[in-house]
Amino acid sequence: MRPGIDLRYCKGCNICVYMCPKQCFSNGVDLSAQGYFPAVVTAPEKCFNHDRTEKPICELCVLSCPDQAISWEPEPEEKEKKDDNQTG
Amino acid sequence: MELFDFYDQDRWPHVFCPGCGNGTVMNCFFRAFNEIGWKLDNTVFVSGIGCSSRIPLYINSDAIHTTHGRAIAVATGLKLSRPELDVVVFTGDGDLGAIGGNHFINGCRRNVDLDVICINNNIYGMTGGQASITTPHDFISTTTPFGNTEYPFDLAEIAVAAGANYVARWTTRHVHELTKSIKASLEKKGFNFVEVVSQCPTNFGRRNKMADPTALLDWFKESSVRRDKARAAAIDHVDLNLAGQITTGEFVCRDRECYHDRKGGGTHGDGH
Repeated sequence: MRPGIDLRYCKGCNICVYMCPKQCFSNGVDLSAQGYFPAVVTAPEKCFNHDRTEKPICELCVLSCPDQAISWEPEPEEKEKKDDNQTG
Repeated sequence: MELFDFYDQDRWPHVFCPGCGNGTVMNCFFRAFNEIGWKLDNTVFVSGIGCSSRIPLYINSDAIHTTHGRAIAVATGLKLSRPELDVVVFTGDGDLGAIGGNHFINGCRRNVDLDVICINNNIYGMTGGQASITTPHDFISTTTPFGNTEYPFDLAEIAVAAGANYVARWTTRHVHELTKSIKASLEKKGFNFVEVVSQCPTNFGRRNKMADPTALLDWFKESSVRRDKARAAAIDHVDLNLAGQITTGEFVCRDRECYHDRKGGGTHGDGH
């Protein structure tokens, strides 16, 4: 799984960028509809939970996000990998 | 349950400023709340006035928004009349320590079964950044433009001295430790007090050259000293920012008798 940022809620405080020990996030540059600069998940493959599918560890970003904007999303490639294993 | 199941999603996004620590405390509280398996139907959240006291408005539960400083008084009455309910008080430094200071001290002394989470942002944030009782020495606010000449209150030490059962202090930089402490405080009977030193970038950081919330978190990280380590190093009287340090850790964890468990008639007097 990977961290995902909800653009409706993010207020661009960049606390996730500061808290993440693996530098998954980076400061936002694009203006959101709410008028903030939400942070961007630039390196989700560095995350501790990259290979995990349940029971996330670390979770510094989720716990410290003051606007509850970060949640866990499934990896987009995960399904393709599984399909490859089944066929191969 | 996910964290968002506890929140009233219709009210999102909340009114807290960008970078405010109140949301962090909400996350940590509900992670602990979920882990020990309490139910929102059986829990009442009581709050006073202030930024942090707006937290119960965003929770899918019953809440009492009381007058300024009287959150612990109302919660005491609620707990004594409905002992089966779990009562949690969300309060701020001005609400708990300044105007409600006497309720706080006597709440600790009575040891009623309450869980008090105090979010200490070092300033009166909602009213425009006046110096509060916990503003550190030499820090600038709207009422102390040349630096605060006073020394701050140490709420956690007051709770220890007044007789609370569980006292801990963490900052919003220590989210995992804070979650553990809140979990321990919820599990414990009696008056449990967790103080969270939180960031206020709008009114505290902006006037003290820490306008970025991450600068305040960095300050927390650098100035935090574990209480046991401070004691081991024999640093005399380390408290909140008196020596430029924030003492964090579990201050006390004891089993004093709860107000409900006390039997009438003691060894003194004839017991009638």
